[in-house]
Amino acid sequence: MKIARSSALTLAVAYISLGLAALALFAAPLWYAWRVTIQDGRSEILQSDALRLTEVFRREGAPGLVSYINARVGMQIAGERLLLLADEALAPLAGNLAAWPPSVPPNPGTYTVKLELGGHMSDVALVHAALPGGYHLLVGRDTARYAPLEQRFWYALAGAVAILSVLGAFGGILIRRALLARIDGIRRTVSAIIQGDLSHRLPTHDSGDELNTLSRTINGMLEQIEQLIHGVRNVSNSIAHDLRTPLAELRSRLEELALTKPTTEQTFAEIDAAVADVDGVIRIFNALLRLAEIDSGTRRSGFVPVDLSAVAAAAVEFYQPAAELRGSSLMLATSGPAPIRGDPVLLAQALGNLIDNALKYTPEDGAIVVEVRTGAYDSSVEIIVADSGPGIPAEHRPKAVERFYRGDVSRGTPGVGLGLSLVDAVARLHGSELRLEDNHPGLRARIVLTQDRPQITRIARATSEQGGFQHEPVYP
Amino acid sequence: MKVLLVEDNERVTQFVVKGLQEAGHTADHAPNGRDGMFLAASEPYDVIIMDRMLPGEIDGLAIIEALRKSGKRTPILILSALSEVDERIRGLRAGGDDYLTKPFAFGELLARIDALTRRAQGENAQTRLEVADLRVDLLSRKVTRGSRSVTLQPREFKLLEYLMRHADQVVTRTMLLENVWDYHFDPQTNVVDVHISKLRQKIDADFERPLLRTVRNAGYTLTSHD
Repeated sequence: MKIARSSALTLAVAYISLGLAALALFAAPLWYAWRVTIQDGRSEILQSDALRLTEVFRREGAPGLVSYINARVGMQIAGERLLLLADEALAPLAGNLAAWPPSVPPNPGTYTVKLELGGHMSDVALVHAALPGGYHLLVGRDTARYAPLEQRFWYALAGAVAILSVLGAFGGILIRRALLARIDGIRRTVSAIIQGDLSHRLPTHDSGDELNTLSRTINGMLEQIEQLIHGVRNVSNSIAHDLRTPLAELRSRLEELALTKPTTEQTFAEIDAAVADVDGVIRIFNALLRLAEIDSGTRRSGFVPVDLSAVAAAAVEFYQPAAELRGSSLMLATSGPAPIRGDPVLLAQALGNLIDNALKYTPEDGAIVVEVRTGAYDSSVEIIVADSGPGIPAEHRPKAVERFYRGDVSRGTPGVGLGLSLVDAVARLHGSELRLEDNHPGLRARIVLTQDRPQITRIARATSEQGGFQHEPVYP
Repeated sequence: MKVLLVEDNERVTQFVVKGLQEAGHTADHAPNGRDGMFLAASEPYDVIIMDRMLPGEIDGLAIIEALRKSGKRTPILILSALSEVDERIRGLRAGGDDYLTKPFAFGELLARIDALTRRAQGENAQTRLEVADLRVDLLSRKVTRGSRSVTLQPREFKLLEYLMRHADQVVTRTMLLENVWDYHFDPQTNVVDVHISKLRQKIDADFERPLLRTVRNAGYTLTSHD
C-alpha cells in the first residue's frame, strides 16, 4: 500500500511540476518580450516628443517653447505626460513639474526614476534633452498607467498555476484511485492464488488498455498453471490408485513364493510371472510419464512438417496383420497428402492407440476405417478412426478420455486405460481435441487439426464462398 | 568382447557385470565420472555402457562429449532413468549411439550392445545377406530359401533385412519397432509378434529347420545354429 500511494503521489507531483515548468517556459519569453516592447516603445515615444519640442525651441526660441508647453499642459489629461523646461541653473521655466527632480542627473539621457506625483511615489520614465543656450528639457511619463496591465498578467499567470495545480492534484488522485483499485484487485487475486486456490482469475473487461492486456496475459498463464497442476495432481492420484493393484499382486506372489517354497521349476515360473507383473507396472509408469511430458507442452519445440496421410498409411499397414488375425477389416481412406506441422512420433502413437482401441473392441468380422481428410478451402486436416464395435454411451464419452477410465465393455481386455487420454493429450498439443462420436453402431474418434493462422483461412474461405471461385489460403 | 560399464548404482552394476560375463564378455566397471572418463580414454573397449547421472563433477554426457571430441569412436549405449524424448535426443546428440531407459530388461541391454558392436564393424556395404540357405539380395530385393523364391511385402523385407543383419543375435520387440517401423512407443497389442509370425509363415513354414526363433522373455533371433 505504501509503495502504491507514494507512486501515485509522485505521479501527481510530477504531473504538476511538469505543467508548471511548461507554463514558466511559455510565460517567461512572453513576459520578457512584453517588457522590452513596452519599454522600448515608451522611450521611443518620449524621445520623439522631446525631438518635437526641441524643434519648437529651434524655431521659436525659449519663449515659444514655454508657451507651447504651457498650452500642452493646459490641454493635457493630468499625469499623462510630464513636461519641464528649465534654464541653466535647472530652475523651472514651464511645465507641470514644480521643480527639477533631484534624482534626475544633469546630463542628457533616458532614465527611470521615482518621483512623487499627486501625493504618492511612482516610477517615471524620463527623457532628458539638452537644448541650445543651456536650457534643459524633461519629457516623461508615469509608468503607473501600465501597472494594472502588468498586474493582470500576473493574476492570469497565478490563476493558470492554480488551475494546473488543482487539476494535477485531482487528476493524480483520480488516476491513483483507478490504478490502485485495479492493482489492488490484482493483488487480492494473486494472494488468493498464493493461498492455494488456483481457480481465481483477474478481473478483465473489453477495453484493450495495457493493464487489461496484462491481466488477460496473467489469466492465460494461470490457466496453464492450473492445468499443469491439475495434471500433476491427476497423475499422482492415478499412480497411487492404479499402481496399488498390480503392486499388491506382485507382493503377494513373492510372499507366497517365500512361504511355500515350491519346486525349482515352479519357483522359476513364479519369478517369470513376477517379472511380467513388474513389466506391467513399468508400462503404466511409462505411459503416465509420456502423458505428463505431452501435457507440459514442451514437445511442441519438436514440431516438423508431417504428412498425416503417410503416418496413417504406415499405421494401417502396421496393424493390418493384427486385424487379419482377428478377422476384422482395417481400411484406409485418404485424399492425397495431408501436410501439417506436428510431432511425427506422437501422431503415430496417437493413431496407433486409436487403431489399437478399435481393434480391441471390434468383434470378429468387424470393420475399422481410418480416414484422413483435408479441408477443401483451408489447411485443416481431419483424422477419423471409426469402428463397428459396441461404442461408448454418450454419457460416458467425456469420461472416456480421462486417465484410467475403463468402460464396462473393456473388462477382460488388456490395457491400462490410458490410450484415449494419450490421444487427447496429443490432439491438445496440436491445438485440437479428441472428439468421440456415435458411428451407428460403434465409435467414431475424430481429431480436427486446424493449424496455420485461423483468421487468414477464414477469410480465404469466405471469399471463395462469396466469389464462387477458390482461393488458396495465402500466408505471409 | 570388452565392455566398460560406467554406473554408480551397485545393484545395477552387479546385475549387468554378471550378465555380461555369463554372455561371454569381459566387463570393466567405473563407479564415477572421473574413473569412467579415465578408463574410457585410456583402454580400448568394444562398447561402453554409460549412466547419465554420476557422482562427482563429470556426468555421463560430458564424458561422451569429451570422448567424441578427442576422436574416440567407441560405440556408446546410454543407460539412464531420464526417459523423456527430449532427454533421449540430448543423449544421442552428445554422441551416444543408443539410449536405453531404466528400468530395463537385461536381454534388451545385451541385444542392443550386440547390435551396436555389429554396426561398428561396418556391415552396411554388403549387398547380399545369408543365413543357412536363406538368401537376401539387397539390390534386386530378391529373397530365396533353398531353391524356392519368397515373395515379401516391402515392410516384411525390411523386417527380414534387419533380422538378417543381426543374425545369431537376439533382437527385441522394441528394437524392431524402432528400426523397422520407426515407432518410438509401445503398442499395447502384440502386433510385432503377428508380423513375425507372418514372416515365419513365408520363410520357415515348409522347411524342416526353422531359422526365425522366439527367445523367451527377450525377443527373436534369426539363426542357423541350434
